[in-house]
Amino acid sequence: MKNYSIYLVMWIGLFFSSCEEFVEVSIPDDRITSETVFNSEVTANSAVQGIYNQLFSLAFSSGRQNSVTVLSGLSADNLEATVTTESLVEFEQNEIFVGNSSNLSLWSSAYNVIYMANAVLEGLENSSDNISNASRAQLRGEALFIRSFSYFYLVNLYGAVPLVLTTAYSSNADLERTNRNEVYEHMIIDLNEAADLLEEEYQNEERLRANRFAVLSLLARVYLYTENWEMAEQISTRVIEAPVYRLNSNLNDVFLSNNEEAIWQISPLNGGSTRSNTNEGDYFIMLSNRANVALTQDLLDIFKPTDSRLSQWIGSFSSNETTYYFPYKYKIKNAVGEASEYSTVLRLAEQYLIRSEARAHQNRISQAIADLNRIRQRANLGAIQETELDGGQMQLLDSIKLERRRELFTEWGHRWLDLKRWELASQLLSDKKEAWQPGDVLYPIPEEEIRKNYNLTQNDGY
Amino acid sequence: MKNNYRCCNLVVLIPLLCSFFILGRMNAAPYLLMSSSEILKFESFFQQQISGTVRDQNGVPIPGVNVIVQGSSNGTMTNLDGEYTIVASVGDTLVFSYIGFKEFKVQVNDTFTGEVTLESSVDALEEVVINAGYYNTTQRERTGNIVKVSAAEIEIQPLTSPLLSLQGRMPGVELSQAGGVVGQAPTIRIRGRNSLRMQGDYPLIILDGVPLDASPINSVGEFGRSSGMDPLSTLNLTNIESIEILKDADATAIYGSRGANGVVLITTKRNIQTKVETAVQARIYIGVSQVSHKMDLMNTREYLSIRRQAFENDGVTPSETNAPELLLWDQNKDTDWQEVFMGHSSPITDINLSLSESNENTSFLIGGSYHTEGSVFPGDFNYQKATANLNLNHSSNDKKFKLQFTSNYGTDQNHLFSGTNFVNYARRLPPNAPAIYTEDGSLNWEGWTISDNPLAVLNQPVEIETNNLIANLQLNYEVLEGLSLRANFGYTHMTSQEVTRNLQESFNPDDWDWIELNSFHSDTKRNSWIIEPQVDFSKDFGQLELNMLGGATFQENTTTNLFLEGIGYSDDNLVGNLNAAEEIRVSTDRKITYRYAALFGRLGINWYKKYFLNLTGRRDGSSRFGPNRRFSEFWAVGGAWIFSEELFLSKLPFLSFGKLRASYGTTGSDQIPDYGFLDTYEVTAGPGGLFPTSPFNPNYSWEINKKLEAALQLGFLEDKINLEVAWYRNRSSNQLTGYPLPAMTGFTSVQANLPATIENKGWEFIVSIAPIQNKKFYWQTSVNFTVPENKLVKFENLEMSSYRQTYKIGEPLNIAMLYKFDGIDPETGRYRILDANGDGRYDFEDRIITQPLGRQYYGGIHNNFRCGNFNLEFLVQYIRQDGYSISQITTPPGLYGNTTRDVLNAWQQQGDPEDIQKLSQSVYSLLSYNEAMNSDLVVQDNSFLRLKTLSVGYRFPTGFLDHLGVRELNLFAHAQNLFTLTDYKGLDPETGNNIPPLRTFTAGLQLNL
Repeated sequence: MKNYSIYLVMWIGLFFSSCEEFVEVSIPDDRITSETVFNSEVTANSAVQGIYNQLFSLAFSSGRQNSVTVLSGLSADNLEATVTTESLVEFEQNEIFVGNSSNLSLWSSAYNVIYMANAVLEGLENSSDNISNASRAQLRGEALFIRSFSYFYLVNLYGAVPLVLTTAYSSNADLERTNRNEVYEHMIIDLNEAADLLEEEYQNEERLRANRFAVLSLLARVYLYTENWEMAEQISTRVIEAPVYRLNSNLNDVFLSNNEEAIWQISPLNGGSTRSNTNEGDYFIMLSNRANVALTQDLLDIFKPTDSRLSQWIGSFSSNETTYYFPYKYKIKNAVGEASEYSTVLRLAEQYLIRSEARAHQNRISQAIADLNRIRQRANLGAIQETELDGGQMQLLDSIKLERRRELFTEWGHRWLDLKRWELASQLLSDKKEAWQPGDVLYPIPEEEIRKNYNLTQNDGY
Repeated sequence: MKNNYRCCNLVVLIPLLCSFFILGRMNAAPYLLMSSSEILKFESFFQQQISGTVRDQNGVPIPGVNVIVQGSSNGTMTNLDGEYTIVASVGDTLVFSYIGFKEFKVQVNDTFTGEVTLESSVDALEEVVINAGYYNTTQRERTGNIVKVSAAEIEIQPLTSPLLSLQGRMPGVELSQAGGVVGQAPTIRIRGRNSLRMQGDYPLIILDGVPLDASPINSVGEFGRSSGMDPLSTLNLTNIESIEILKDADATAIYGSRGANGVVLITTKRNIQTKVETAVQARIYIGVSQVSHKMDLMNTREYLSIRRQAFENDGVTPSETNAPELLLWDQNKDTDWQEVFMGHSSPITDINLSLSESNENTSFLIGGSYHTEGSVFPGDFNYQKATANLNLNHSSNDKKFKLQFTSNYGTDQNHLFSGTNFVNYARRLPPNAPAIYTEDGSLNWEGWTISDNPLAVLNQPVEIETNNLIANLQLNYEVLEGLSLRANFGYTHMTSQEVTRNLQESFNPDDWDWIELNSFHSDTKRNSWIIEPQVDFSKDFGQLELNMLGGATFQENTTTNLFLEGIGYSDDNLVGNLNAAEEIRVSTDRKITYRYAALFGRLGINWYKKYFLNLTGRRDGSSRFGPNRRFSEFWAVGGAWIFSEELFLSKLPFLSFGKLRASYGTTGSDQIPDYGFLDTYEVTAGPGGLFPTSPFNPNYSWEINKKLEAALQLGFLEDKINLEVAWYRNRSSNQLTGYPLPAMTGFTSVQANLPATIENKGWEFIVSIAPIQNKKFYWQTSVNFTVPENKLVKFENLEMSSYRQTYKIGEPLNIAMLYKFDGIDPETGRYRILDANGDGRYDFEDRIITQPLGRQYYGGIHNNFRCGNFNLEFLVQYIRQDGYSISQITTPPGLYGNTTRDVLNAWQQQGDPEDIQKLSQSVYSLLSYNEAMNSDLVVQDNSFLRLKTLSVGYRFPTGFLDHLGVRELNLFAHAQNLFTLTDYKGLDPETGNNIPPLRTFTAGLQLNL
């Protein structure tokens, strides 16, 4: 009996000493703690690369069905749905149900990007000295840029939106909406800081990680949208004058990877798939089947027959005696291996159009025409002469508006954002869309978000 | 970390060493025999003292027998040696009664010696030994709520999921099937939902002492995607001896943190004979299954007229894009797609063989089974399962050392296919849609404009192969009389491999030039080990009996998941062979380790076998919590009073048994994802990137479930009628949940404790009546009935939280908040819902209807008749519940897609019934339809009554069999889900939008040699 008691005592004693440690498990090998991430340059850099990678798959930036490119294309007058998929039809007819799942994806994915950027910004703040100041500046600049990039779309699609600047989810969960101007102000501050932090050179010889000019390009757009014509002109000039960028003479080159016109692109390889085609290419191009969306007749009608964009950027497909036209800017629907096309977010042509518009507003007509003609001439359209403009500034602006639509169609919702910015949405779309109401210029805040955050208010008309 | 492994090795080694030490010594121990037999004579005078011993049929003295003089208050009880002394007169009648034995009456006369032998009564409460996990109890003495279903009821059912065999048989247990596809994980809820998170309600499942991971296995294929695959499907139903469900605090607190949602104990068959015997059993059945119900859909003529009317109402001309069925497709073709897609018959075969052999010290049972089923789908799909089991028992000559080894191995192969919306196609495809196959038998792609050929998905075969080994070794050494050392070792190893192949034929031939053939691979491995050293002590102090138990648990589970995609195969034959893939993409490669350690104890006291007290406690630690939150204590106290043993009640002639019991205690739950307290990054799918996967919270802690129960057990007329009524109230607080966050924070939920309390209370009734019990005819009926009530009692700041539109204080968890339906707008003919606050928009403020959706009450009636050698048995299940009507999942009236015939009565003009809006194909109709689908229009009574099982059997008479040298031969026939009565118009009120439960007929025989 004594023997057993000794064993028993030993046993119980051991139990108490080992119990506490026993239930401690090590971190699994598929993750690392955020502390570790910001403890070295390599992993901190990976955290930033991770955001770019996610941009390819996340809804709003993917170029697929739930992206700004497709949904805003439908809301404006460039795209139409060829299927009866409810979430698409609702965007097309500007009758968006507050529970629309595409709308929720759009919103959620943009905020997910913001979280990742905020996590990098906070991680860098608390990081160790293992990260050099140069790297720190680079990574911070990129995070600030990407955050502003997401806010740009949020504020344009939804109006006032909650301004989330930290990862503190508990305090962020009941944030109220911040008005549009304040969000813009914040973006301007961030972008200016990012422009200072980032180098002019690209990393890795690819135009995939933001450099100073990518930041300035977005900043120029922000100034244009906030109607700060002087700054819009000044900033876009800095980009236009940068020696690394040049307009491609061949329209077929505009969406190739690392082409001279590209300022910032997203690589299909970021998705981690072996497929190397862009999502836009896969989604829009019709080979054997019609795609879910096609170009509207309304868009086709604005191209002159000689416009080379009509032949080079627009494709057609016939099925059951119906002909569909589709955006053919990206040429590759399906590919494996090297990626010859990248999804292009910022490109030089837009900067010319920004500067042209900014100059027109400052009544510097000839300079504005010069910029506009760069774009027109590349598309095989004749140059506009100042003498042709009877209507002066207003007519010039109309030409710029027309040119923007022809140049930037089905890219990143430009048309929708432009119509709203020019306050032309109601005027133009009420004729084209049966159910148009003035409140439709803003998408509804997703019902689920309002459900979860009692401080969020709904946009008018929903 | 290293250090901790070393410690844990020691902890493992010591009980092992102990066992060997004991093994070496045990033969030396002496063989003890108790002998005491003494006959007391009594003298004969009028008032005399009578003494004697009460024994059972085997001559073993019975302590605690009530002895009374009939018609007086004079009574006594036998002592530990079964002896009694009572004063009585000649002519008096002595009544001897004891639970488990037939009452014995004797008149005192000269020849009465005082010696009494009691006959045990069949089906008596005492006989029913109940497994309470770490200890055994009996139906009579238990202080907790434990219900049991035994082999006879389980093995007759042609199922693959052991849990589903319990449907309708137990009060307080809600079991529902995901659908009629074999292998899908069922849902089990014991006494309702205790947690706000859907994944937090699994009970603890223990097979022969080894905890199993009850969470469904992830599946990529369509049929398993939402429900997951059943991790218990590899068990052999015929090899299950019993399933016990532990419900209240008294029964579950010894499982501590894992007992909050109840405990399911599955015990496999074992051979505990100690006489020299060899037995062989064969059990074989075959049968056929079909989908039990189809919907009443429109035929082509009706469907096309509806569609034409819709276009006409809208003043729109149909186009080839929006109405191919009106313009492109054959106007006379009429196909019953439900028949095509799921109208096939599925054959079932089940074969079971077992051999058992025993001698005085060693016994074993070895068995194997094979089960195969076809499918109700077109194409060649099937399910096969093979199992092997071994149970080995050994004891030393002095019976002091006992060893029990049990192992169950099962493997199953499930061949299915992955089609998205297969059931939807069956329901919604227009009846004149083009032919599926061309004349040469290949898939037809002509004319399928709106969707691809729906049977193309048959060329996306899914193969799921699961292997599952569960082994358990129990060692028991009786150190001294009443003191035993025990160790329980368990090991489980489960692998599940799933491959989905997307073959060329599954794609439109137009796409063949550029399509990439691919395959999805999902590998899941679950390993676990458990060690539970225990000390057991029981001591009898005369009227007082003590049972003590102390033990510890160490458990580790590791789960690995690997999801791969192989892309770019050159030929169908190679698809699935990763070597032949151009590229392999890893989407998940994850290993999760979970560790759990605990100390537990129990103290059971009974006084005169009348008053029972049971104390249990456990201290638990789990790796799922942050460093300072890992440990917590749980405890329970239970008591019972067998009042029928009291002398003043033993005179009641009709009352044969009466017990009151009550319990109170706490249990917990740690059913949350692992590592949630860590702030971590994972690798992105793309190269070189990291991303934060979830927001983290280092501070969350255990969820606590406080359980209270009171119950009354009564037996009448010599236990011919038994009644148990239990009332319970469980309150689960400190809710641990994936707290929903608005997506603007970056994520949609975070793990946190919520200041919320969920209450589950209810009444449970079991009545079993055996009105006729004789050799010729036997009839037993038992009814179980449950009235559950689930309520959110507390939730601080619910109005300010993200749950404010999901839950409501004072309402059940399973509710829908709905708009108020406001009829049909006479102008437009479209549904209208009430703008309750009149602000001109429809939002949450207008959802003024709170509609509970769960079960209101449910029960089952089980009947068993035996007449001579024939046997008839059936189970009827009834569930009262409200749910969504079929319109929630069908096509909006007038849009593309078939639906029920009801739409033929769509609204046309004022005064028409308002349940179906005017036929239309416009987006406005769709919007108003969507809104109405969120209103009270779509809630209806989805109660159902189902004849769950019906079986008949015939047992050959023994005389006849003796000639053949056969011990027993039974024939049986069985039907499952024979009919269902319900108002629900969809496929099935239980499985809703899924393949309905199958109706199965089987017949077979059982042979014992």
